[in-house]
Amino acid sequence: MDMEHLGLRSTGGAEAVLGLQPNSTMSIAYHSLFGSHNDITLLEIDETLIPDILQQRVTIRGQPDEDAVLCTQSKTYALKYVGTSNSVLLIPPSDKAVKECNDITIPVAAVFKVAPGIMEVVEVAPKLDKLKFLLSQNPYSFDEASDMDISHERMNTGLYSWDNLVDEVQASNEELRSGLQALSAVEIYGYWRVLDDKYMDMILNILLHDVILNDWSFNALNEDEVLRALETDGFPCNIAMHCLKVYGNKVEEHVGGSCVWQLEERRICVHFAREILKSGKMKVEKFMAEWIRKVPDGMHASFDMLEGEVLTEKLGIETLIYHFSVSSLPSTPAERFKILFRERQKWEWKDLQPYVRDLRVPGLSAEAILLKYTRRTQPTVDAEPIFSAR
Amino acid sequence: MQIQVKCTCGEGNCPEWAIVELQGTVEAQPSFQNSLQNLQIGILCRQSQESHTFSVGYHELTGTKVKLKKPMLVLKKIKLQNEEEIGETEINSLRVELDVIGIIRHKILFKTRPKALISKPQLAVKEKVTPPSSTVPN
Repeated sequence: MDMEHLGLRSTGGAEAVLGLQPNSTMSIAYHSLFGSHNDITLLEIDETLIPDILQQRVTIRGQPDEDAVLCTQSKTYALKYVGTSNSVLLIPPSDKAVKECNDITIPVAAVFKVAPGIMEVVEVAPKLDKLKFLLSQNPYSFDEASDMDISHERMNTGLYSWDNLVDEVQASNEELRSGLQALSAVEIYGYWRVLDDKYMDMILNILLHDVILNDWSFNALNEDEVLRALETDGFPCNIAMHCLKVYGNKVEEHVGGSCVWQLEERRICVHFAREILKSGKMKVEKFMAEWIRKVPDGMHASFDMLEGEVLTEKLGIETLIYHFSVSSLPSTPAERFKILFRERQKWEWKDLQPYVRDLRVPGLSAEAILLKYTRRTQPTVDAEPIFSAR
Repeated sequence: MQIQVKCTCGEGNCPEWAIVELQGTVEAQPSFQNSLQNLQIGILCRQSQESHTFSVGYHELTGTKVKLKKPMLVLKKIKLQNEEEIGETEINSLRVELDVIGIIRHKILFKTRPKALISKPQLAVKEKVTPPSSTVPN
């Protein structure tokens, strides 16, 4: 029998290898189409992800210069290639296309490819910093809103639709949607925009003015009435709705009727604090006086509302306050801590916590993140722990 | 850029592939290097419930069938031509898709030091034993 070149009959394949019974033998040979087949890769994944993959709910996302990620509807995974020095002989199921030939008495399974490595997946946080960057390039301003001449050629550059964002941002659909919500982005003419500060400030002030004018209650605003009033003031319906969503919470849903909204005291107070601190560092007393004055009647500003938004520093006997918002910091831990420790070398936990509690690294607890990126010292047993750079 | 991952065979119909894994590399004699297709590599034998042997050339390896801790998917990259008309121009763009053509849940793993077989005829394919850290190019 010619043992060297066997004519292969389709008797074998993967089934034969896996189903080989005790005291049986079979031949393993190179497939008639054996080759490097660089278009074929092995991907190791959790059993739980398989239904999503087979039902087409998984995509690979990334630009050519980025490391590709695998996205399900709700999670993002980094793809890592792991090489092996073993010989991994890949055997497909029995192939009807294999050429028929000599009569052979033992089954044959054919090796299609020798795999030099496999792809693994590791869950990662979505890369949403890029989303923030892209949208902040062209914030939607009052001028643009009032510009009745909307030339669509202009609209197409530097603006991003949902599909454009999916193309550019390495995040799952759900994570992208929450990212947009976290940025208070709004879809205008099919493009996702963030409103510029001045415009937001303008709408809020006019809304608050309308509340007083019409003797409405902060806690029970009628959606229709609000939209109508803001429309009269010159704001399109979608922008007015956006304002309600950013500064309020829907408290009652009336099917067929108008919903009821409640303005969120904290968000509004923080907004005014930010406006005041735009002019730079100032003495705490001066800030507090101005803040209380600016906050709408009926709302109460308290310092704890500003955690994660402001920092204080001592200058002689004075204490200065300035704007330092967690929302403007990078979402990746390494980058985040670099900036935090550049701002201040040493942090007490109570000051640090608002600036790190939103950090997410799948697989790492909050304590583990601190352990990895900071150095913790405690002068005495009773003293507060101090965090500094590693 | 987005690459869709799909399974044209349909869920539930995705065929199971197998892996035979061994340490070291399989090398064919120089005269056969360029025509490996259809060449026999070796004989796989299931000795008992737990044990398999794989004889390649002068060597016999011993191993077992193991269930993978995590399954593996066999993906094939497919390039598709996209013909789009944008305004007056026709744009031919390439779209890439990944097709799941198989799933692997088990492998036959050979981890032991090969046993030398005596009085075997000269065979076209032999197994070359190399330390795990180096690979011999095929």
